Amino acid sequence: MQSFTRAVIGTAAVALLATACTGTSNAPQADDDATKDVSITFWHGWSAPGEAAAIAADVKAFEAKHPNIHVKVVGNINDDKIKQALRAGGANAPDVVSSFTTDNVGTFCASNVFADLKPFLDRSGIELDTTFPKPLQDYTQFQGKRCTLPLLNDAYGLYYNKTAFKAAGITAPPKTLSEFDAVARKLTKVKGDSYSQLGFMPNFHGYESTATHFAALWNPTYFTPGGKSNLAKDPAFAAMLTWQKGLVEQLGGFAKLEKYRATFGDEFGAKNPFHTGQVAMTMDGEWRLGMAREAGVTFDIGVAPFPVPDAQADSYGKGYLSGTVIGIAGTSQKQNAAWELVKFMTTDTDAVVSFANAIHNVPSTLDALKSPALTADLKPFIGIAQHAKSNTTPASPNGGAYQLTLQDFGYAHEAGKVPDLAAGLAKTDEQIDKDLAQAK
Amino acid sequence: MTATAIPSPVTLTPAARTARRTRFLHWIGVHSLAIAAALFFVLPFVFIFLTALMSDQQALTRDLWPDSWHWENLRTVWETPGFLTWWKNTLLYAGLGTALTLLSSIPVAYALARFTFRGRNVVLMLVIATMMLPPQVVIVPMYLFWAKQLHLSGTLWPLIIPMAFTDAFSVFLLRQFLLTIPKDYVDAAKVDGCGEFKALVRIVLPMAKPAIAAVALFQFFYCWNDYFGPQIYASENPAAWTLSYGLESFKGAHHTNWNLTMAATLLVMAPVIILFFFAQKAFIEGVTLTGVKG
Amino acid sequence: MTSLRQKHRTETLRNLAFLSPWLIGVSVFFLYPLVSTVYFSFMKYDGFTPPTWTGWKNWQYVFTDYPFFWPALRNTLWLVVVMVTLRVVFGLGIGLLITKVKTGAGFFRTAFYLPYLAPPVAATMAFAFLLNPGTGPVNSILGSIGLPQPGWFNDPAWSKPALTMLALWGIGDLMVIFMASLLDVPQEQYEAASLDGAGAWQRFRYVTLPNISPIVLFAVVTGVIQTMQYYTQPLVAGKVASGVIGGAGQQFEPGYPDKSTLTLPQLVYHLGFQRFDTGGASVIALVLFALAMVFTAFLMRSMSERSVA
Repeated sequence: MQSFTRAVIGTAAVALLATACTGTSNAPQADDDATKDVSITFWHGWSAPGEAAAIAADVKAFEAKHPNIHVKVVGNINDDKIKQALRAGGANAPDVVSSFTTDNVGTFCASNVFADLKPFLDRSGIELDTTFPKPLQDYTQFQGKRCTLPLLNDAYGLYYNKTAFKAAGITAPPKTLSEFDAVARKLTKVKGDSYSQLGFMPNFHGYESTATHFAALWNPTYFTPGGKSNLAKDPAFAAMLTWQKGLVEQLGGFAKLEKYRATFGDEFGAKNPFHTGQVAMTMDGEWRLGMAREAGVTFDIGVAPFPVPDAQADSYGKGYLSGTVIGIAGTSQKQNAAWELVKFMTTDTDAVVSFANAIHNVPSTLDALKSPALTADLKPFIGIAQHAKSNTTPASPNGGAYQLTLQDFGYAHEAGKVPDLAAGLAKTDEQIDKDLAQAK
Repeated sequence: MTATAIPSPVTLTPAARTARRTRFLHWIGVHSLAIAAALFFVLPFVFIFLTALMSDQQALTRDLWPDSWHWENLRTVWETPGFLTWWKNTLLYAGLGTALTLLSSIPVAYALARFTFRGRNVVLMLVIATMMLPPQVVIVPMYLFWAKQLHLSGTLWPLIIPMAFTDAFSVFLLRQFLLTIPKDYVDAAKVDGCGEFKALVRIVLPMAKPAIAAVALFQFFYCWNDYFGPQIYASENPAAWTLSYGLESFKGAHHTNWNLTMAATLLVMAPVIILFFFAQKAFIEGVTLTGVKG
Repeated sequence: MTSLRQKHRTETLRNLAFLSPWLIGVSVFFLYPLVSTVYFSFMKYDGFTPPTWTGWKNWQYVFTDYPFFWPALRNTLWLVVVMVTLRVVFGLGIGLLITKVKTGAGFFRTAFYLPYLAPPVAATMAFAFLLNPGTGPVNSILGSIGLPQPGWFNDPAWSKPALTMLALWGIGDLMVIFMASLLDVPQEQYEAASLDGAGAWQRFRYVTLPNISPIVLFAVVTGVIQTMQYYTQPLVAGKVASGVIGGAGQQFEPGYPDKSTLTLPQLVYHLGFQRFDTGGASVIALVLFALAMVFTAFLMRSMSERSVA
């Protein structure tokens, strides 16, 4: 049927033309009136009932100060959904977004997914250096473009089971890695071909025992100033991997530890292995204390900064920092109203302090850090957060892909599959560079 | 089996006795296998059921039998914010989708079965090609189309609307069935003055009921179970989630309470299984339609 | 003459009318995106900034620099060879079994068929729970009778076998197809064979198999095509087993554990919707398309031998 075939070809031609048009993106200017009655949508990633309640309280305080702005809050939004919604725009897209994945700041800023905050900051007269600690400023911008602000901070430290310590005759938490290894060995009790208690789970799948968290103890440089992957050149990474593998061997070998790891309960559940006593020490963020208490843990929990490499013993007190970032969607039509919410949540000291207390996170502004109203539990982490040598993972144009690649290499290395560490790191660099080239 | 003279109990010939014994052993063999197989198929359901009723603490242990029966777990899941919404959305997606599929696919299947036209084989080939097409092949431009051009992301419409323009599998199945309807019925109706469309509705459709039921069930089933589609289009808007997507996110929101997750799993599986019991014949007939009458 | 042309024209209009939903459907939802995908495979496009031409860069990246591509292809090959074969053999076996069961046939048929109805996400999560190496009932039972307890979804060597077990659990559809075709084999052929002295195995080989071979072929080809689309089960299994909840800045590791559950459809999602690499995702989509079409051609050829009138 000629008319039929013609119809099909015609549609295909139109399709080709239509395809060329799918590239238009509209970035509206911030021209809305923030004093008029308006509704904005705020997306965040917290999901536990307590956390959702804390957000609701924070927003309520905001609405009390800005009665003309109504905020619709949506929680449990992970980064995939955020990226998708921001890409699509439209009625369902949010105006204000907070994300746990600081790595994505690179993508967000580079592709204008989040609006540039500089004009808003200038207009509101906010001086970054007097408001936020330096590391927090670092991971909320990318190559000079500031598209997010820090919304609470996470600091990682060492949690240890004081009862187990006493039983093993250990009086103080270790400060250097060689002390740490010794303590971990002492606390490990083998049972058959498994363990009745493990000093520490070093395997890279062990929840927060990740390559990037460990690497932070050496203050590494992930990228050269030119933007190339630096894993092979910076000795920090080789040192970290060697230490980790050494600890794996000392505690019983990769296979045995993996088998034990398979018996662990979920990280954020009641049966977290630290809660149950399956591991005596763990690296975790400041939220662990609250969760442990909620789970009804019976032993005394000790908190301290994580031990540091022997060669850098004087930097004890530092740790890996991360946090939540918040920004305004580039496609939002209500950016001025959105800015009011962002400004409130990130800089209003009372709001920051109450939110930090409620979610059990470290506050993100210099003023809040000094506040006497902060819960005592957070004190050790505030110290870590303020330590000059605490550091974080840098942003990159393709988000956390480089961290996944490093972690992948770590998995191979800890399992003993890497014969030449230096060559392996060089290859990993190559892969990271190739992925970055693809993302450019 | 031809009937042999029934031997009186006392006078079984040795051959008959062996035959009887063989039959008996055969029966034992077959049924033992069947029972073993049944265990494989049924035990997972049993475990899911038992775990769903355990306490949170116990669900994380190796125990198989609940210490205490927590029927309220089902209630907790049912009342989880969003669960009812997921139900509603899934029903809408599956119900509306099935209706639209039938409305659009029946005429097309009819045309392919009864009309002759140049290019018919091309059409048939294309139908089969799209039937076998993984949805991931076209998803990227389709997503950009729905999301950027039509701003319909965050809803289920990108999944429902295409079904108003036929579903390849349904077209194919219906067409195969319609081929088996003898031409005389329709020809007789045409003699009486019926147009093709009227003939389709008045004569052919009533005869095609089993095939239509099977197609409807398959499509409903497919939509009910669809995970990829909702993941792409509805994930950014929790108000649009379906049961399959919600179930997977359920685990995150409840920080992995396995007992509740298994209870949710039960509640997601139950409707389809109940539907099956009411429509057994249609289900099974539909499957045979695909394979056997190829 | 005129009336013939008129009749022809009315007929054409009628045909178009009946076919119109399909015409629109296939153009908008198949041809248009297919053409677009080819177009995007040569572009760099992240969904935000307008697309720019990059030639073969995406193709070269996927085939040589993307560390997940070849593992995904290898996994697909494994699944085609192992999972499809096992499913067909097991389906035939169960179909055969069910035709021989006399007592309680209805119960057994229902029991064997029911798992097929379980929604994939629910079934996968259930299996991930059952096969949890530390706390799941299966390892608990294996341990109590002294058998080794594999890592299942947490062990790269066992994750695909575990997925295969899940696939075998849902054998209901194949069972029904085989059952129907087995029952269709003419009784006389069996009787003739027995008269000739053929034993059970020979009857199976020379009577049953030839008669059901079209169905076996159909099951194999559709099984392969389904394997091309295998997405939900490996993705959910990996997510659940890795314990990554997707919050607190944790990245999901595609193909957990150790890329062993990666499939090509998952890569389309990974590149297209997580990394925003529309170009790379399009390349993978085209590879998937090519593979699917090769097997579709097989199916069409084998079916045309059975009268696609």
